Amino acid sequence: MKNYTLIILCFSILISCRKKELNKIEGPNLTDVYGDFAVITNLAASQNNVDFSLGQSVYFTCELSKISNWKLSIVGLTSGAEKIITGIGKKLDVSSALWNGSTTNFPMFKAESCQVTLTFPGEADTLTTNVTVAQPKVNAGFLIADFESGWVSSWTTFIQSGAGMDFNIKTNSLSPQQNSYYHMEGTVNWDWLVGLVDFNASAYGATTIPLSSNGDNLYFNALVYGAPGLPNSRVLFRFDEDENQNGSFNSTNEDQYGLEIIVDWEGWKLISAKYSDITGNGKGGNVHNPDKLNKVSVLHLANPSSGIAKSGIDYLIFTENGPLQP
Amino acid sequence: MKYIGFLVLIVFWSQWSTGQIGKKVQFIGGARSLLSHSNFNSESDTVTAPKSTGGYALLDLGFRINPNASTEILGMVRIKNAFGGFWGGGVSFDVRQLYVRGVAGNFLRYQIGNIDYKLTPYTFYNHNQDVLSSSIGTMKIKEDVANYESFYKDHTWRQQGASVNFGLQFPKLIQQVEFNGFITRLNPTDFQNVLERLYGGGNMVVTQSKYLKLGLNHVGIFDLEGTALDSNIYHNNVSSLTYDLQFKREKFTYGIDGESGISVTKQKLYPEKDLTDYFIHARAYFNIHRSKLNLDLGYMDNGPDFRSFGAQSKRINFNQENSFYNRYTNAQMLRSVSMYDVYNDPNLYNQGITARVMDYNPVINNVLPYGIASFNRRGGYIGISHKDKREIIVSNAKVHYLSEIRGQGTSFLKSFLMGSVNGIFHAHKLWKGKKEFNAQLGLTYQKTMRNGDFSFESVNLESILINLGIEYELIDQLYVMGNLFTIRAQGIDQKPVRDADDQIINYEKYEVKGNEMNISGGLRFDFSEKIYLAAMYEWNTNKFNTEHPYTFKQFSIFYVMKF
Repeated sequence: MKNYTLIILCFSILISCRKKELNKIEGPNLTDVYGDFAVITNLAASQNNVDFSLGQSVYFTCELSKISNWKLSIVGLTSGAEKIITGIGKKLDVSSALWNGSTTNFPMFKAESCQVTLTFPGEADTLTTNVTVAQPKVNAGFLIADFESGWVSSWTTFIQSGAGMDFNIKTNSLSPQQNSYYHMEGTVNWDWLVGLVDFNASAYGATTIPLSSNGDNLYFNALVYGAPGLPNSRVLFRFDEDENQNGSFNSTNEDQYGLEIIVDWEGWKLISAKYSDITGNGKGGNVHNPDKLNKVSVLHLANPSSGIAKSGIDYLIFTENGPLQP
Repeated sequence: MKYIGFLVLIVFWSQWSTGQIGKKVQFIGGARSLLSHSNFNSESDTVTAPKSTGGYALLDLGFRINPNASTEILGMVRIKNAFGGFWGGGVSFDVRQLYVRGVAGNFLRYQIGNIDYKLTPYTFYNHNQDVLSSSIGTMKIKEDVANYESFYKDHTWRQQGASVNFGLQFPKLIQQVEFNGFITRLNPTDFQNVLERLYGGGNMVVTQSKYLKLGLNHVGIFDLEGTALDSNIYHNNVSSLTYDLQFKREKFTYGIDGESGISVTKQKLYPEKDLTDYFIHARAYFNIHRSKLNLDLGYMDNGPDFRSFGAQSKRINFNQENSFYNRYTNAQMLRSVSMYDVYNDPNLYNQGITARVMDYNPVINNVLPYGIASFNRRGGYIGISHKDKREIIVSNAKVHYLSEIRGQGTSFLKSFLMGSVNGIFHAHKLWKGKKEFNAQLGLTYQKTMRNGDFSFESVNLESILINLGIEYELIDQLYVMGNLFTIRAQGIDQKPVRDADDQIINYEKYEVKGNEMNISGGLRFDFSEKIYLAAMYEWNTNKFNTEHPYTFKQFSIFYVMKF
């Protein structure tokens, strides 16, 4: 009988340990999910004028009556650049709707006025406000070329003598970053190579491009243009390492790495690759040494039977700790 | 001094002992060949190719080497060839198993490499949450394949790391103390954003007497600081006390056992997301020896913030795409994981611990989606199991009546009812026939209820699962098999949507009315206990998507060998 009593006692003690949770709710209130949709406070920007070059940012606020999917679209009225932020929640605030000047759809933002539009899928409401970009975002990294200051004499080219060859810096509204980009166009019916540009280290005042030695933490980034209706272009980025530091690259005993991109899209697209992930010829031991980079080349390729090929490049930049956030 | 004179306890498991007595090098492993032809049909689907044929042959070849009496090395490779592969195409070579184990100093048992490990149901345990009733016949063949592929054995998880075990015996006060410890690697660092994550722990089990056994258990998932640039170090620690107080009489045994403990989950950079909670699970049992009737009555209180991913990781990843007809209809929509896939697609199964709250299917298990270690559940259960003297009928039944502790989105709490009955009838024992005739029944009913002030607070979801199987030995070693599996569900629930930190950010209205049925039959020839050839045909229809129901018809041949 004593044992039965002991067991019943143990059970009673355990059951009496109940928690009191009646006033707590896990997750959002269901009334915030299934109630009627209404805008409680209108869309507003934390500041009307923002200078991204100084590291400033702007966030947007809005309060809703229920948890909703939302889409915030910021469009540059001069450039046409677009930044899209999406989310789900009952309010927009600094944690969910912060803009640091980055771009979703190219071109990049300029110093310009922007229209901000907030929409909610499934709801008719559209909220708008404006914000002015005093100066656009400046990206940290080593810039190889953005073509804004014209041609640099230490850059070299090889352009085939095909038909309609046009390898030039263009300054027009198509530029994805500021005002200029490098245009590559032509028909070469005997060779895959249409033309190439060499960005030599000497253009930067040294025998090797001044980069970090850690290829695991270094990213190569470039904006590449795909011409509408011409998906035949290929862009090959080539990286020559001067392993023995003698001032020149020797393809028989030094590493050359290549990143080939099939340009099968229309418009501008950001290409980013970790330097250590780029494959090489293995002639120099296949150890990635970005601090020994002697030359970056951009080759425009196309199948000789495919006719005219047209592409463009802009904003070639090395970044550390992660790919470019344009 | 007499307490210091303890005796070292070394208990070898039977397989291990056999290995020691045998040859220095042994070949072990298994082979399997599967050939199937499927016919998929969905109304007005003109895009999905309806028929598919495929198969493979695989060999798991292991070498068990005993260089000395106290060491065993096992290496197993898998060679798999998809049918149609030729000259290396479709052929894969993998290492399936690799470990060294042995006894150091006649005292410490160790294993390094692949370890199949478990501790207690609330700390480190592989619950089978989604196959609630095991069957015989064709379904058993499929269950065995899935379990073998995923290394599921006796509720263990396959891990890579090391484990140690030793025991001490004492002359007085307590009989023996056993110590177990393990350390495994959950994921490697990428040297950038992903930290090296380890999982370790152990327990101490004290057997005081034949009446009382106590265990202290602790497990922890933890990141190693400095192994990546990310400094948000994650911890999930669980500590528990297990106990079994037993009283044995001539005609019956009774007692109380259970497990209680706490869990702490932390992220270094986000202390506001810390979760701490506790759980209590106690069970009283009463076993009548003569009639082999066992009764148990249990109480559980698993806090809403209790997290123990070693015990709450699910076997099936419901967010993964099926590897067989993963898209269908003219719009090529994703086909969600069905019970057909649970039984036929080993790729859906997890082979390790997932350190976050995994998704679940409310139709399959809404009451205890993470097994008995499910969080935010409180209530009781009653169970009964029985086998007669000749074991003609072996059966068990259990009813859980639980509720939430903390409401999700409302202060009203969901209540849960789950009743299950499982039985196997060895009919040939009844009439003492020489040919085996076995029939099996499994039935599980689940109901989830919540009433509220608003219509969207109210939920009512019911599901019923029936699993029938028969096996009859037509002639020596040749069996005819037949199975029926059906699951039906109807109702509405509000399913939580969680963010990357497992916080509930929204609710998905989960509305269901449909069923899935699988009827299968076939023949199996047992060459021996470890080798069989089976041919089966099955018809599976799924009407859970009322707009796009679909049907599978499948013929399969299995050849399975273990050696």
